Amino acid sequence: MAQNTYELTYIVNGVLNDDQIRGLVNRVRKFIEENGGEIIEVDEWGTRRLAYPINKKRNGYYVNLYFKADGGLIGRLERALEIEDDILRYLTLKMDSKMLQHYERVKAEGVRRAAEAAARAVPVADGDDDDDEEDEDDDV
Amino acid sequence: MMSSPPPSGAAERSDRRSNPSPSKSDNPMTNPRFEPERIDFVDYKDVELLKRYLNEQGKILPRRITGVPQKFQRQLTRAVKRARHLALLPFTSDNVR
Repeated sequence: MAQNTYELTYIVNGVLNDDQIRGLVNRVRKFIEENGGEIIEVDEWGTRRLAYPINKKRNGYYVNLYFKADGGLIGRLERALEIEDDILRYLTLKMDSKMLQHYERVKAEGVRRAAEAAARAVPVADGDDDDDEEDEDDDV
Repeated sequence: MMSSPPPSGAAERSDRRSNPSPSKSDNPMTNPRFEPERIDFVDYKDVELLKRYLNEQGKILPRRITGVPQKFQRQLTRAVKRARHLALLPFTSDNVR
């Protein structure tokens, strides 16, 4: 079956504690992998204030991920997300060539910017490593 | 498309963003807020860009005001709606509610 690249963004209930959030994020990831999907990248934006309240929650934990799968998975995945009470919203998009180009470009820019920031902060620092560490710091 | 310079990236972009938001009376054609973007995909995750095309109530500005190409406006509308679904942008701003 033809493989497509998909982008999925979902919002986890911000009231949960870190362990619960991590568990849920892993559950989603596992669901995709066990159903024949291949995860490309998982980008956790972290807790943000929602632009409007959803189910009386004002904050949400955003997770943005990219994966390869065939179309049959999407229906099952969305059903699973719908059943999950702690997922407030989700958005699945099939990535066409323009979106893929855009994704590559944004990623390249992110790496470059991280490298520049690292170079400015500590001239000896290794750009790519620093990028990852910054993300981790926010969670802890 | 051919005549426009290639996107020069971060420097130019941050210049535009640091601009204080211009008043209503500004001529849209010379307003840097509505400078047509030299991008071929409008990303719903780029909230800062989308915000420039909303009024204070959070409504999408019409093309007669933004003056952007039809194609761009269509992509913009779509991206704004996606962003609203994910609560990245309000359907209506707080001070109106």
